Amino acid sequence: MKLKQTLGGGLALMLVLLSAACGGTNSGNTNGGTPDASPTEVASNNGADSSKGLTGEFEIQYFVGGYGDSWWKEVISGFQAANPELKITQSAGPNINDQMRPRWIQGDTPDVVFIDGAGSNERQMIDDGQLMDLTEFLKEAENTDGEKLTDILISQPTAYEGTKNYTLPLVFGSWGLFYDKAFFNEKGWKAPTNWSEFVATNEQVKASGISSLIHTGVYPYYINGGLVDSAIVAGNGGDGSILTQQANLEEGSFSGPAVQKALAQVVELVDKGMIDPGAVSLNHTDAQIQWLQHKAAFIPSGLWLENEMSKDIPEGFEFGFIPSVAQGAGENNIVIPYTNTIAIAEKAKNVEAAKAFVQYAFTKANAIRWAELTGALMNIKADLTNTSASEVVKEAMAFFNSDTTTVAPVAVLNADVEKAKQDATIALTTGRIKAEEWMQRLEAAAAKVRK
Amino acid sequence: MTQSARRRTFFIIFLLPTFLFFCLFTLYPIVKGVQISFFDWSGGTKEMDFIGLDNYKQLLRDPIVGTAVGNDYFLVVGKVIGIMLLATFFAVAVTRLNVWGKNVYRVLFFIPNVISVVVIGVLWRYVYNPNLGFLNSFLSLFTSERVQTAWLGEPHTAMMSLLWPSIWAGIGFYMILLVAAILSIPGELYEAADLDGASQWRQFLSVTLPLMWEQMKVSILHIVMTTLNGSFILVWIMTEGGPDNSTQVMGSYLYQMGFRQYHMGYAATIGVLILVLSLLTTIILQRVLKRETIEMA
Repeated sequence: MKLKQTLGGGLALMLVLLSAACGGTNSGNTNGGTPDASPTEVASNNGADSSKGLTGEFEIQYFVGGYGDSWWKEVISGFQAANPELKITQSAGPNINDQMRPRWIQGDTPDVVFIDGAGSNERQMIDDGQLMDLTEFLKEAENTDGEKLTDILISQPTAYEGTKNYTLPLVFGSWGLFYDKAFFNEKGWKAPTNWSEFVATNEQVKASGISSLIHTGVYPYYINGGLVDSAIVAGNGGDGSILTQQANLEEGSFSGPAVQKALAQVVELVDKGMIDPGAVSLNHTDAQIQWLQHKAAFIPSGLWLENEMSKDIPEGFEFGFIPSVAQGAGENNIVIPYTNTIAIAEKAKNVEAAKAFVQYAFTKANAIRWAELTGALMNIKADLTNTSASEVVKEAMAFFNSDTTTVAPVAVLNADVEKAKQDATIALTTGRIKAEEWMQRLEAAAAKVRK
Repeated sequence: MTQSARRRTFFIIFLLPTFLFFCLFTLYPIVKGVQISFFDWSGGTKEMDFIGLDNYKQLLRDPIVGTAVGNDYFLVVGKVIGIMLLATFFAVAVTRLNVWGKNVYRVLFFIPNVISVVVIGVLWRYVYNPNLGFLNSFLSLFTSERVQTAWLGEPHTAMMSLLWPSIWAGIGFYMILLVAAILSIPGELYEAADLDGASQWRQFLSVTLPLMWEQMKVSILHIVMTTLNGSFILVWIMTEGGPDNSTQVMGSYLYQMGFRQYHMGYAATIGVLILVLSLLTTIILQRVLKRETIEMA
């Protein structure tokens, strides 16, 4: 009996402790959620151009993945030198998105966030009201060299809810098909510029006994980005607005004639046995290694590929890049871009410094440093000819600047629809479903989210 | 202090901290998880909408949940049978049978337990690799055409291919458990059985098996529980639930929903499902496996 009482007492104590713990967190939330007025005030008094620079505290969160962190460290230390009074905190690392999640939930957010890597999704952050509306800021904003930001961007900020901008693309790249130029020369194969050439090359490749197209079956968004999406835009007469319609979940945008045409092309590859039968079970590393070892001729991927695989590239391998193959003869190439964006938190405590950092970072000089340090492209029209950016990036840049290329808008699908699209595509490429079911699944997924 | 008061203090000193930690790290998360399952919550903000049983209704209609539950129980049954058969066989072999190099085998079979599950997943991905993997290369020795089966990519082979690494990784631990059980059986019982002319098989059935039944029961329950709660890791590393959700287990679907598709409320509902199914399965198994305890005199 006594023991029971004691245990009961213990339980009561436990509950008290728990509620105290919860109360503590809650009050922490409220404090964290309310922007601390003082630093912002001081900062705005001084202004960005004052000799003393910004003051108060400034926190930036950035994911460290394929692009490394040397560019960030360099730019942030430059920003620090320009604002010696500002106390800068860097929250960075390969798991930073998960590490910072509790703070985002509690409203204790950093000021600026680079949205990249697993566990980050800009559409979801916007839906959750985590990002600041930058529409007005971007209309006027100039960088520290006095250039208007929107004038020097390659890809304009994605418009949400029709006209609102919440993010600014920092990294710009393109999906596409990659091949080994040296291998193609040796075999006498021609790099295709349209669909019939692509099919013809595939026949030749297949006849030589290797697979024509290998892809990352565990991550079907690679083949979506590198083949299916550009086929949809090509099927739409080169008009990329269809991707925006899909991102806006418009009814019928996943089953129109453009989509039908694109899926028919995928089915043609399946029927002719041009997709590596093992690809369905491969992750990106497996698929890329096999492609580097000439087990297949083409692989859909993004411009980061060369950098990512730099340690495993065999001697004499020459990266070739084709943005799209689905277009008819004489039609424009389609570039399906991807971006990684930077944004200011809705609950940023030092908005002034956050904006100043964006203006400081988006310069042509920093864009060149980005290309040199990461091997990828920053979303700024900068002349890379004399830089150490990789050849494949320069080749892609030539496509972006060409008259015969259409750059599609960046469209970010809702996560549920994105997953449905990946599942449907992998089922389609293994011949397990027909094109009709692909369209039905996507229309159903979009309808469910619209509700 | 009276004797009973001292006793009580003694109990409190040992029980209370454990109880507090149990509440904080087990009870509280469970209660919180159940609570979240009644909300529509993305997991990225403070805003939560109470939606009552809607998540549970969706759970019942979701075809992927059916696949996931089926896959989980496929692994449970496969692992229980595979691991128990092999672990028992090996345990008997290294204790009762005169196998050469007994100790070497004990160490060998235990090695997978020292390796992280992540490494096991990656290793077996190589084994199953359709173009470069060991399995297809081996099979190709016997066929005229090169075998290119995508073991992890075809719905009818993918789950089977996930089962073998799970069994391989589990044998060693349960073997050690059973070896300990067998070694605790007094040698006189076997001597007596020998004198009575009992064969090795008879000895196994009438002496070894009844006397290590408790350990086997614990092993089976442990396999069931760890599979229902932990099959996630291997699945996530080897297939991520794909292709087209055919290898999804409850844990991987929970992760997918919570952290990839931002439905933390629904993910919590899947968590509740795992909890309920684990409890039910354990209770049912406890009953099924109940045997009269045989005590050594």
